[in-house]
Amino acid sequence: MIVTPVDQAVITRALIAAADEMGVKLIRSAHSPVVREAQDCSAAILDKFGRVVAQAELIPIQLGSITHTFKACLEYHPLDTLSDGDFLINNDPYSGGQHLPDIFLFTPVFLKNELIGVTATVVHHIDLGGGAPGLNPDAGDVHEEGITFPPSKYTIEKDWMGGPFERLVRANVRMPEATIGDLNAQFAANAVGAERLRDLCRKFSSERISIAMNEMLDYSERRIRTAISKAPDGEYDGEAYLDDDGISNIPVPIKVKIKIQGNALDIDFEGTAEQVKSNMNSPFASSVSSAIACVKSVLTDPDIPFNEGAERAINVKVPYGSILNPRPRAPVRARLLPSYRVVNAVMKALGEAVPERVIAPGFDTTSVSCLSHKLADDYNIYLEIFGGGFGAGPNYDGCDAVDSMLSNCSNIPIESMESDYPFFRVEDYSLRCSSGGNGKFRGGMGFQKIYKILSDNVTFATYGDRFRIAPEGVLGGGPGAQAETFVERGNQIIQLESKQQFTLQKGDRLVVRTGGGGGYGVPSERNTGLKDDDKLNGISTNQD
Amino acid sequence: MRVGIEVGGTFTDLVMSDGKNIKTAKVPSTPISPDKGAMLAIEAAGLRLEKISELIHGSTVATNAVLERKGGRVCFFVTRGTRDLLLIQRHDRRAIYDLQYQKPKPVVPRHDTYEIDERIAADGNIVTDLDTKVTSTLVRNIFDKENFDSVAICFLHSYLNPIHERALSNIISALYPEMPITCSCDVAREFREYERASTTTLAAYVQPVVAGYITRFSEELQEKGFQGKFSIMQSNGGRMPAAAITKNAITSLFSGPAAGVVGALRGKGKTSYPDIITLDMGGTSTDVALVSNDHAELAPMTTIDGLPVKTPVVDIVTVGAGGGSIAWVDDGGLLRVGPQSAGATPGPACYARGGKLPTVTDAHLVRGTLQADSFLGGKMPVDLAAASNVIEEIAKKFNVELPEMADNIIRVAEANIVRAIQQVSTERGSDPREFALVPYGGAGPLHAARVAEDLNIDTIVIPPNAGVLSASGLLLSDYVHYRSQTKRLLLNEPNLTKIKSGISSLTKEAKDYLIKLGIKPNREIETSLEMRYVGQAFEVPVKFTEADVRNISLALLQKRFADAHHKIFEFSKPEGDPVEIISIRVGVAEKTPGLTVQLNKEGRNIDQKITKVNIVEKGIPSETTTLSRTDLSEGAIPGPVLIQDENSTVYAPFGWQVRLDEYNNIVLERGTE
Repeated sequence: MIVTPVDQAVITRALIAAADEMGVKLIRSAHSPVVREAQDCSAAILDKFGRVVAQAELIPIQLGSITHTFKACLEYHPLDTLSDGDFLINNDPYSGGQHLPDIFLFTPVFLKNELIGVTATVVHHIDLGGGAPGLNPDAGDVHEEGITFPPSKYTIEKDWMGGPFERLVRANVRMPEATIGDLNAQFAANAVGAERLRDLCRKFSSERISIAMNEMLDYSERRIRTAISKAPDGEYDGEAYLDDDGISNIPVPIKVKIKIQGNALDIDFEGTAEQVKSNMNSPFASSVSSAIACVKSVLTDPDIPFNEGAERAINVKVPYGSILNPRPRAPVRARLLPSYRVVNAVMKALGEAVPERVIAPGFDTTSVSCLSHKLADDYNIYLEIFGGGFGAGPNYDGCDAVDSMLSNCSNIPIESMESDYPFFRVEDYSLRCSSGGNGKFRGGMGFQKIYKILSDNVTFATYGDRFRIAPEGVLGGGPGAQAETFVERGNQIIQLESKQQFTLQKGDRLVVRTGGGGGYGVPSERNTGLKDDDKLNGISTNQD
Repeated sequence: MRVGIEVGGTFTDLVMSDGKNIKTAKVPSTPISPDKGAMLAIEAAGLRLEKISELIHGSTVATNAVLERKGGRVCFFVTRGTRDLLLIQRHDRRAIYDLQYQKPKPVVPRHDTYEIDERIAADGNIVTDLDTKVTSTLVRNIFDKENFDSVAICFLHSYLNPIHERALSNIISALYPEMPITCSCDVAREFREYERASTTTLAAYVQPVVAGYITRFSEELQEKGFQGKFSIMQSNGGRMPAAAITKNAITSLFSGPAAGVVGALRGKGKTSYPDIITLDMGGTSTDVALVSNDHAELAPMTTIDGLPVKTPVVDIVTVGAGGGSIAWVDDGGLLRVGPQSAGATPGPACYARGGKLPTVTDAHLVRGTLQADSFLGGKMPVDLAAASNVIEEIAKKFNVELPEMADNIIRVAEANIVRAIQQVSTERGSDPREFALVPYGGAGPLHAARVAEDLNIDTIVIPPNAGVLSASGLLLSDYVHYRSQTKRLLLNEPNLTKIKSGISSLTKEAKDYLIKLGIKPNREIETSLEMRYVGQAFEVPVKFTEADVRNISLALLQKRFADAHHKIFEFSKPEGDPVEIISIRVGVAEKTPGLTVQLNKEGRNIDQKITKVNIVEKGIPSETTTLSRTDLSEGAIPGPVLIQDENSTVYAPFGWQVRLDEYNNIVLERGTE
């Protein structure tokens, strides 16, 4: 059987559209603000061999992990043992997962008793138990971070829908209505994707769809390889540093060596720091996804569908026991912090090969702001994910106040959060006007959010980075400003660390400031129009 | 005599109806002052202004003001602490792998945004009072130094309690009575501050431009003897008196596409197709929309240039597939069509104006679905050899014959259109098979049959005057006004009276508004309640007729919501799961009569003048009959047939039958054999 070029184009578009529709419906029917407003979730369609062929472009880091989490499920439940009505679940960082809150849910799709593919969704769940509501920054191991669902298979009818697995989940989380609601949204989105996939198979035949899916993987591989072959052969080094390991004040190095040879690219993280005792360990899948996402962003056009084929041309090696490939049981909640330094190190190395395609380092940090309030019998947990300023590029200023590269969370509207969380009010949400690095193009600006606390005993938990080490500018550009967090209590100012838990009282003002991006090129080359605009709008640069 | 004039990007169209006759005209647009083109159209149609009782107008003035950033200078007031609302936006990126991502640029810069000391809480209570004295001084200081064309105000939680927005508005009006002021609680009384602020600033931004244009145009009309009523099309598919639009310009932002949908829906007459999907294919893009039960679906929000607009608009999905869309092969070897377009200049290769890239139009010329005499009735010369050459180049890459390549390009373009239709149908829970397709625009009727086949649609209806359908839409549109309000109410027995009184007071407000403008609210529009399960953030619109509202009960509300939720998300929760109403939207309207149609009962004897051309489809050439609309009658003719209509070509491939119905629509039906 052959698939004509036209059918190929039609099927490719239809599968990507189906994945997009899954993403939209997931967001629109979810319950927690972290999904429905912040959109911390992803969706994908896999072929009947369990390979990711089409994804909704939502959160890059989650997307890269879908393949790994499903493969782990297959080790226990091979494809030929799946049947209609089954679902597979996995959030285990040591079985291809990210951190525990990201639950991967898979629905095998059947047509006339034949497996035609798998639909998958990932959602960041608000609370999965563990040592503290929403986020436990002091966890010493993965168990203190919450409940692990190892790769496993259940049936929707018997185990979910009020069944034993649903009851297990309900019994182990602090906001069961939100968690069950969000999982139901995942089931529903998977069902929508399944229906679209069945429609396509009915129209084109399962065999034709299977061939077309295979070609989609080959297609992405070809395009990535074409892009790699345009970059000069050679070996390139890069490195980046985390402020600390969450316990001491010693910077943690991430080192990389990239080898480009023809149309293949090897990445090796030899020389990277050992794993740490705090939650700043990046599971293998996170590290690999981050490296590949960076290579894709730098070398290729944004329109290449990102699927498993894209990974074939890139080989990633990560030393076992390092912060980028920790041994089981190490806590991993803040895995994005080292993941972002992976991006910085890879970008620095690629900058030697293709200087015209890279940008300056940005804030490149996921800062989590989690406020929780224990009521008599209940919890109310607010969690928001902050980016900051993007690094400036060869043609533009860095983007201001935006989520960082590996993530893409929206903010939660002030009007929405104040309705849902009556224990605080937002007094200020504004740009930090002198936080971008100086340069021909200015680094993006960070922002600040000030919470006025309205109840006693509100717990603030956070993790972040770049409190000490600022993102450098490139080609003569200046560094972006660091982040900071403090509490105003009466006349007193209490400085907080980047990773910590703190109890707030009524009347406190919690100030969270995220950092700016590095500048690009020498400031004297900055266009006067841009300079005038900055002046008029009250924008200066870091350390002016 | 009633006249509709639609100013588009390229052409200005006019349709006149005097109850007996219909007259149409098409003249080139005059982008710098669109009213000139409108006057030329009146001249071209040979109409006298003093004879016109009603003039209905649609233009791209508001849209262009935003796209070209040529709106007024807006002074924007916000709550203390939220000055950067328009710059921070939603903190997301719409292209996740783009390293140099730039956010959409707001229409008000940072330096024109001012913070006011005031605060309302999430329950509507006042936290910080707005001090009238201090605020007056601040306002005076600002306006002493700077010159603004209009004012926008968006305070936190004003959708619950607008008292501070009103207070500031009063302060400014007292000091500067001429200054146009837009309050967020008036344009989009719904929560989520960025989307509301964006809508409010866009409203204030287009206001001076639209008001200026309408005022100038009406004065000009009056000077030249016009004494009739003058009304303007809105994005929601209804019109309002020009004077009202000058105060609420944002509602006219997407009037053009909305007029087209109304033209399609009303232009086909009272036929047996109440459920249609419209397909408007032009040179660079295709717009599709869904109409069920003779009502165009409305979307609560849309975007312009990346900026959110929260006013009800006809739910139109646009894809970059048009006659000028360019076919190309990407570096992975996949055939792509669009979104880049050759536009009008250089245009398709066959226009011989310097276009060197293969477009959909070139593919049609090569395939034979467009003939040399299809272009402006044969008045425009086309170069078949040039079209063949550019398509031959791409054919070589795939190693296929020229006619097959042309067919492939057309099919990929059609796949893009199919996707757009699925977005407004399947993804919103409607089955396209239950709809008739109504194509218009230059290229719509050419692609409709193949698109319909892909979606399993069996009927295609092409209304008369399809070439000036947006202008007919103006003539056929009702006066329509919508009001909505965020009103968060848990669905339970005690709240039932609040829900009822919420609907009735909002309806009364809307009716009073129309009556004040001299319009009779005599047409029913369904009330829409935005509902969700407690805990969700996005609402599902649930519609209720007047009768439903009179007999509203808890059971009815619950059932309708569960059904609507299931239709979109393929699941609903067990009965008893808490449901809440988030906002209420009501609409009021005055009905406009339809057009009288002259029937074309007798078809000509087509056997005598038949010409045949060869059209290659899926590699197989077939002899195709070419006709004109006047050759058709009620008797069905089997495809393949090409019909030259006024400004478009209708293609009925093999397997389709074509006939004329009692409303002069060309109807294509898929054969059952």
